Amino acid sequence: MKQPKEKQTGKKTAIAYLVSVPSLILIFLIVVFPILYTGYISLTNMNTYHWFSFDIIGFRNYERALLVFDSGFLSALLMTVVWTAVNMALQLLIAFLISNLLNVKHLPLRNVYKTILMFPWAMPGYVSILLWKTGMFNSQFGLLTQWMEDLSGLTIRWLQNDVSAFICCTVVNLWLALPFMIMIMDGGLKSIDRSYYESATLDGAGPIRQAISITLPCLKPIIGPSVMITLFTTFKQFDVIYLMTQQVGSQTGAHIHTIITYAYENAFITNNYGYSSAISIMIFVLLILFAQVMNRKKKGANT
Amino acid sequence: MKIKTVKGIASATFINLFFIACCFLALLPILYALSVSLDAKGSLLSSNFSFIPKEFTLVHYGRVFTEEPVLLWFQNTMLLTAATVVLAMATAVPAAYVFSRKRFAGRTVVLRMLLLLYSFPSILSLFAIYKLMSSLGLINTHIGLIVIYAGTMSVFALLNMKGYFDAIPVEIEEAGRIDGCSDLNIVTKIVLPLARPTLIVTGVMIVNFVWNEYIFSINFLTGSDRMTLASGLYSLQATETSGSWPVFAAASLLVSFPVLIIFFLGQKHMVSGLTSGGVKG
Amino acid sequence: MRKILCILMVGILFLLTGCSGNTGNQGKKNGPVTITIWHDKEDAVIAVLQDAVKALEPDIMVAFEKKTGMTESLKLVGNDKNAAPDMYFFAHDKIGVYAEMGILTPITELLGENALAGYVPLTVKGATYKGRLYQVPLYFETLLFMYNKKYIAEKDVPATTEQLYAYMQRKTKYGHYGFVEQHSTPYYAAGWIHGFGGSLINDEGAPCLDSAEAKAALAYHKKFVDYMPGETEYATVNTLFTEGMAHATIAGPWFVPTVRAAGINVGIAPMPIVDETGLPLAPYSGIQGLHVLKVQAAQKRDAIVKVLETLMQPEVSVKLAKVSGCAPAVESCYTLEEVTADPLIMAMKQTAETAIPMPNIPEMDVMWTVAGNLLVNVNMSGQDIEPASAEAQKKALELIEAMK
Repeated sequence: MKQPKEKQTGKKTAIAYLVSVPSLILIFLIVVFPILYTGYISLTNMNTYHWFSFDIIGFRNYERALLVFDSGFLSALLMTVVWTAVNMALQLLIAFLISNLLNVKHLPLRNVYKTILMFPWAMPGYVSILLWKTGMFNSQFGLLTQWMEDLSGLTIRWLQNDVSAFICCTVVNLWLALPFMIMIMDGGLKSIDRSYYESATLDGAGPIRQAISITLPCLKPIIGPSVMITLFTTFKQFDVIYLMTQQVGSQTGAHIHTIITYAYENAFITNNYGYSSAISIMIFVLLILFAQVMNRKKKGANT
Repeated sequence: MKIKTVKGIASATFINLFFIACCFLALLPILYALSVSLDAKGSLLSSNFSFIPKEFTLVHYGRVFTEEPVLLWFQNTMLLTAATVVLAMATAVPAAYVFSRKRFAGRTVVLRMLLLLYSFPSILSLFAIYKLMSSLGLINTHIGLIVIYAGTMSVFALLNMKGYFDAIPVEIEEAGRIDGCSDLNIVTKIVLPLARPTLIVTGVMIVNFVWNEYIFSINFLTGSDRMTLASGLYSLQATETSGSWPVFAAASLLVSFPVLIIFFLGQKHMVSGLTSGGVKG
Repeated sequence: MRKILCILMVGILFLLTGCSGNTGNQGKKNGPVTITIWHDKEDAVIAVLQDAVKALEPDIMVAFEKKTGMTESLKLVGNDKNAAPDMYFFAHDKIGVYAEMGILTPITELLGENALAGYVPLTVKGATYKGRLYQVPLYFETLLFMYNKKYIAEKDVPATTEQLYAYMQRKTKYGHYGFVEQHSTPYYAAGWIHGFGGSLINDEGAPCLDSAEAKAALAYHKKFVDYMPGETEYATVNTLFTEGMAHATIAGPWFVPTVRAAGINVGIAPMPIVDETGLPLAPYSGIQGLHVLKVQAAQKRDAIVKVLETLMQPEVSVKLAKVSGCAPAVESCYTLEEVTADPLIMAMKQTAETAIPMPNIPEMDVMWTVAGNLLVNVNMSGQDIEPASAEAQKKALELIEAMK
């Protein structure tokens, strides 16, 4: 009995891989190979003077990034964590609020609101970012600047110092990302059984109590995968920060570097591919660690 | 009772006002772009900017069409988008199905890897992908970009559709098998029609990605006749010698328009296609 | 399952072959040679070049391809026979980087040692890296002092920086600006540092950001910046001038057609002289020309030489100068009346006498970023000059060290 079964599973595995192989090949070529190649480059001294004739230099690039505190990597790392945490927290909170309000009874314009709230999602990302940057925050003719001038007579240079630039970038990122989150949560809310709320109301639980003990636990598994995807998207957000504050020739005076913009600046502006590859690989290792922690947590929560 | 209605009206008004404010915020940059692009006077600098231009003009839209090969870009983008969607879906659908239905060696490892891979920013792999494409002789070809785009989106497509397939009860397929359907028939006649929302959503997400991608197309394509809308639009604002804000605003809106339409056509499938757990078989 | 797979594979193959059919246009051995030239220039400039090389058809076809982000792409494709262009048309400042990377061919190997005899010395200097010529200059440009004649009469144009400052103090109000520039962009701000006798980097490739001259220039420049808008990008600065809200600016010749189209009566004046040093603001100058890529040079040598020779004719330079508003690189052009009669070209030539060609050494590649950050830190983030320039100097040294 044992042998044919084994044979069958072997065959099953073979067929399964055969069917998924085109997709896996694509993924390997475009996603996995570059990571491996980046790993290889990170061990070399590839830069302007050794563009085609670079040598393996071992882990010296990693040493430089980690040990030279001043090199900016660690502060960029910290900024990335802060950025991801703040954005995710605000995103979840605001989306939760809005999607709950979208689902209150007697809201005849519900669908109109919902449609309009989806607009930011459909615009090309970098167009929206540049519209925000020049149209809203530009200290000369940005709309928000003009409004502030009318209201208080003060000219605010929004993107000039780190704190306000961080807030502005967060606003833009929320603007870009909220539609997706609202839609996901809205879908999640719809799938929760109404009867839970009815019996809770009978038991005398108020709306906040209901949100905490019914909505949240029910929503969690449904939106989980999308939240994970958003988490990674936020983490690797490049366009918002780069285009808002660092685009060459139109820097604004703020210095908010995440590890992604930091790696980009090192690679493309200073041509130091070896070093920037080391940073890329370190980013990847951090992600693996992070994913491990998340996994353990998940398992812990299940048992 | 009376108090309750008053309260009800008050809270309804409050909620409506809240949403009107939200919608205004959501539309703010778009309205701004619209009014800049339609304004004949270039009132950008006047200290009292108004959303309704005092003098309307379509001149900026005209310039988009006459000064740049926008129609060619549009054609290129359409080609790239269609080909990417076909390639990515054709490869990802069977893979997603297999990963959802069959249990085989290495399955969980690959799945866990995929999410991780999704998190690696593709901008950091630009150089490596370049090396790869150049050894395949695919630099400066649309086909090279199609492969890149399809590969980048494959991870998302696979994960997203696998989640949805998971939620389709196996019993439905078994019923089909008892009726004597072949594997192929089960997938095409039973599973895929049921999975329509996720197919549409994944497709729309791929369209959205390809439509808006500019970093790869700027670096991998040469010549303004090969450009896509996104990269063409990017080059409109990137160089000092050609920058014109109203024209850029007009072009942005034109570029966004087709995506908006596709979005709203697919919107009713969006939610169920993305929240895998929300589907009830 | 297998059937699906087969269908899919066939479908994909079909798709692949279908698409590659459209795009496979490289490497035809027989028939006309195609020379591809990448550029980032205005259409009018390219039209002149295209017109000039028509004479070589049908044996040699020249394709001008506009490329966004060209400098980055060249690093990527420079060594790749299938993807690299035959030549590129750009400013001279990347010569050092590309020569060190090994993707450029010295033009003397194609045109002989005396290739650039009779060229304006400034352009030859710009085209030379480590004693070898890497560029065929077509024209050169510098930034110009422009003013709006509606506000400033020709006789009242500030001749010194202090006069300019006084004008800015008087006129910068009610949304108007006396003078605007891209104050925190190194290409623009370098003129101030040069005006104090300093520089961003010396000829040996050592950064000079913490020199006394540079610091004095930064401090002096800062008081002007206080009367300028809080943005350094071109969109803001240029729009202010074209909308008539800024009375004077420093900008490149490419800006002149836009300004005229906007209905501004624009005047060009010499750069103001720094009172303290007696030197004029000396902006960088860019020498625009053709560079030949090594991978293609061997195979297409004859065709490349012919194209270069065609485009080196003085008539082409004159035509280019007219459409671009830049100054011809060939000395003999300046005896022609149509050149000497053009005020824009002559203003350019005059400014070019004090202008400094952008350094073309690879170290400069790093300096753009570091100096840009320094300017932003001082002008926009309000950091003190001493620590900021010391830090920038340290960063520059560090990055240059890391290059090697």
